[in-house]
Order: sequence, then structure tokens, then C-alpha cells
Amino acid sequence: MSLLDKYTKGWSFRTNKPSFSEGDEIAVFVTGMEDGTPIARIGDSKLRLPDAPAGLVDKRVLLRVTSFDDNNHLGEAEYVETVGESAF
Amino acid sequence: MSSEDDSEEFSEELSATGAASSGPPEISFYGGKWMSAFPLAFFVVWAIVQSGVLRIGDTTGLVAGMLIALILGMLFAKGSWKNYANTIFEGMTRRVAATAVVAWLWAGMFAETIQVGGFVDGLVWAADAAGIGASVFPAATFILAALLATGIGTGYGTTVAFTTLFFPAGILIGANPVLLFGAILSGAVFGDNLAPVSDTTIVSAVTQDSDIGGVVASRFKYAVLAAVIAFVGYLVAGASMQGFDVAGQEDLLAAASEPAGLLHLLSMLVVIGTAVAGRHIIEAISWGIIVAFIFNVVFGLASVSDMVVFNAPENLDIAQSLAVLPFVELVDAGSTGVGGSFYSGAQGFFPLIVLVLLIVAGAQIMIRGGGFQAIQDWLLESVATTVRRAEITMVFGTALVNAMITINTAAEIAIGPYIARLGERFNINGYRRANILDANTAALGYIFPWSGGVLVGFAVIQDLPEQYDWFTQAMVVNPADVVLYVFHGWVLVIVFLLAALTGFGLEYTSDRESEEVERL
Repeated sequence: MSLLDKYTKGWSFRTNKPSFSEGDEIAVFVTGMEDGTPIARIGDSKLRLPDAPAGLVDKRVLLRVTSFDDNNHLGEAEYVETVGESAF
Repeated sequence: MSSEDDSEEFSEELSATGAASSGPPEISFYGGKWMSAFPLAFFVVWAIVQSGVLRIGDTTGLVAGMLIALILGMLFAKGSWKNYANTIFEGMTRRVAATAVVAWLWAGMFAETIQVGGFVDGLVWAADAAGIGASVFPAATFILAALLATGIGTGYGTTVAFTTLFFPAGILIGANPVLLFGAILSGAVFGDNLAPVSDTTIVSAVTQDSDIGGVVASRFKYAVLAAVIAFVGYLVAGASMQGFDVAGQEDLLAAASEPAGLLHLLSMLVVIGTAVAGRHIIEAISWGIIVAFIFNVVFGLASVSDMVVFNAPENLDIAQSLAVLPFVELVDAGSTGVGGSFYSGAQGFFPLIVLVLLIVAGAQIMIRGGGFQAIQDWLLESVATTVRRAEITMVFGTALVNAMITINTAAEIAIGPYIARLGERFNINGYRRANILDANTAALGYIFPWSGGVLVGFAVIQDLPEQYDWFTQAMVVNPADVVLYVFHGWVLVIVFLLAALTGFGLEYTSDRESEEVERL
């Protein structure tokens, strides 16, 4: 990212319910479990990770989005790999 | 060592030290897990009594409070006290503590070196040359104090330098004292918040796993928005609030004016430029120190002995032989010692370094005792239930902790883990988390009447009547009087509250990654 981009990024209003498209690869924290399935909550949108291994909560993982419903801001993604830890 | 190795080591360290919050409590306390918060709670009460009630801004006094708190806390630990004792060590060796120590030592040396090189005198020259009148003086003071604080990274140092000189000089011109003090504190807030060499900037970045250059660049938008509004505020208030009529007494500004000091704007830009370009903060500040040293010597702004000096006994033969060196001076046998800006710049932070190590130890006891987890669960289940509410919780949580722990860096270290965990549970980007954390910490540390930033300025102002015959007690500004006039601080808090409510500037972890965190 260029120096100018560093300063100009973020001068906008960001939705609390971000959308994703099928095939998107994103690195996010796994934020909790719902009904035994790991969940990555991004803002107030949620991605379910039905095939992810256990013990990923508060780990930063790379995901590939497999589906996303813009109406209820809920989707599914497959786990690719763990890429980082919590800052705390 | 490759950056990959660094990164791996950093991750291992994080998992070894910080991730314990999700495991079972490892220290049990009589009275339950909430008693693990006793050391920090006791310290907060001590800080309120010392700074808030008795108005004593003595950092070593807070160190004594925290030491007593750690001893008393141990009395409530069940079973062997070995675990409790080991947890103190574990906390003190955490990366965030080391980061604050490094930031203070390096930034302290740099700040002192550009100050002995007459940077403040250069700013005084700029104010004097511009021929600024009473009504514009507070607004100009805000800009110049912000410039100094951005260069030296310490708002406390800026407050002391400006209340010593600009404050009485402004009153002589006819500016309103309350507004002037508010403008100085506002400048301190600006620098503490934005400077890459600021301790709060560095701690905010490292606790949120983000690089300093990226953090500074991403918070620029909030800082500039708030500064423009504050600047207009000082212009408007300056035109309507009257000062005292003491004109013609003396011209303090002209006496202390030296344009060459402005050369250190370049020293400042070297640090900011290298930090934002992604260099390690130690490297960035070291470059600034080298450039400042060269400027001081080459342009005669300060001598080598102003920066580093061995004051050796004059009756010692070897000392007499070595006195030809520019960093050896002969003194009475009773006044020997090492001195200079490198020495005093680092030394000035020693009490704060010890205090922060002890506070991190207290925080680690709360983590191992289950208190941290209990508060985190309560916040996530009852308060921070949506991303907007989570961000508002971060703003108010930071404000609350700053109200209680009056040294703003210490407050930031105490609340940092909560901001990290709350934010991560909504995948809020590390830059955004660091910005929320630091803006409120920087702002409120100069607003609350009992905060360290206000008290260091008040201590200087209190002595001015003894220093100047014309300076009356009516011109002394009490900490409570200035609260409303720290415009930049208030606007910054409001900007972040609005940003949390509207999503302005919000970024998620999926939007962009922090660059090479191991560089700090």
C-alpha cells in the first residue's frame, strides 16, 4: 500500500453488516461457536464454518466464502488455514 | 533474523503470555475471582486519593501505591503464594511492558536533544515574528504546542515547556489564561495522539497487533478533523474572552527567540518519515537522534556536552588530561556525575517505567485469577452485543479507566487487552482499535483535573507568581477551570463517539492487514 493510500483509506462510512461474495478469501478471527459450529462474526454479519476444526476461537484464519445471503447477512465459508493469533 | 522468524517468535510470545484469558483461573483467591482485581482496584483508589483528592502529581508515589497493592493482593491468594509471585514476573516480562519502556527511553533522549538544541526557542521565534495579537495567541499556541508534541512525542514535556514560556508570554500580550492553558493542553493531546514517537501511540499499536506507521497514517483523519474544529474554537473564544492588562512589562518571547532552533523540524520529519515508511520505531527514533545531534553540533545549537557529558572531579589527574575532550568537564569533587540530554531524557522516564511494569504485573494477576475473563464475558453478553455498541463500549471504557488511572499510558496498558478482545470478537481492524484506544486516552489524560497531564502544567503555573513580579494569583489557572477549554481533547472524543455511532472510518480485519507487526 502506498504512503498516500495509507493516509486516504477509511475516509468513509462503513456498514455494520458487510457483504461477501462466493469465492472471496478473507483473513478474519473466529469469534465464537453457535450450535457447535465455529462462527466468524465480521461487524454484525456472520460466516458459519461447518467444516472447520475445533479450537479455532480467537485464532485468525484464512477462509474461502462459499455462500452469502445479503438479506439476513449470514453466510458459510470453508476453513483454509490458520494465519495468526489474537493480539491478546 | 528473517521477518518470518520474528513473526513466529512474536506469535509464540503472544500465545505464551496473553492468551491465558480463555483458560481456567490459575490463581484462586479468598472471596472469588473478583478478588484477582484487588491489586489494580487498590491502586486506582490510591491514584484517586493521591492525584484527585490531594493533587499530588508524583509518579514515584504511584509506584509505592502499586507495590503495596501487590503485597496486599497476595494476602488474599489461596494456597502457595508461589503462583502469585511468578505471575508478577510473567506480567513484567510481557512484550507490551518492554515496548513502553523502549518507547520512553528512546523518545525521551530524542525529545531532550531537540530541546537543548533550541526547538522551543525556534517556535517562540515563529510566534514572535508573526506578531500575533492577544485574540489569536491561543489558536497559535495550540498549533505550535501541537507541533512540538508531534516532534517530541511527549505531551507532558510539551505542557511543561509551554506553560514555562508561552503561558506567561501570552498573558503579557493580553490573552486569556484559561484559554491559553487549554490551548497548550490541546496541543499536547494532538501530539500524544498522532506522533509516532509518542508512548501512547506505540502502546496503542502494540496492544492491538498493528504497525506504528500504519496506525499513525490511519488516525490522521480523526486528528486533523478534530484539530481544525479546535483551531476555529480557539479563534472564536480568543476573540471573546478577555485577558489581563499587564502590557509593557517585558517581552518574554523576544528574549527567548532563536530561529535556528526550527532546524529541528527536519529532525522531527526524519522520525515521522521513517516511522510511517515502516521502519522499526527504534530505528526511526535513532535516526532522529543522530540527525538532531549533528544539527546541534554543526550549527552550534548545542554543544556535545549539552547532550552527553562526564562531570569528573577537577582534582583527578587523569580527568584533567581528558578535559580536552568535548564530553569531559571538570567540576568540584562533590558534584561529579554523568549528564546531558541523552542522560536526562532517559532518566526522566524511570519512575514511569517502573510504574508500568508493576501495573502490567497487576493486570496479569487479574488475568490468571479470572477477573479479566469475568469482565470480558459480561461486556460481550450484556453490553457490546453489536459492532456499534462494541465500539461505543470501547470509547466509554477507555474514558472510565483514564478517569481512574491518571497516568494515561498506564491506563492504556490496563484497558488495551479489553479493546483487543472486544474488537476482535467483531473483527474490527487493529488500526481502528488502536485509534479508538489512543484518541480517548490521549484526550482525557489532559482533560480530567486530576490527570497527570493537567497536573504537570499546573505545577509550573503555580510557581509563576514567584518568578515574575507582575504575575498575580488571579492569573493562576486551577485544573478544574480548564476542563471545558481543552477543545481538541473534547472534539477528539466527540469525533470518535460519532465515528462509533455512524461507522465513519470503521474497517474490518478482512479489509486490510497490518504491515509486518514485528517492526512495531
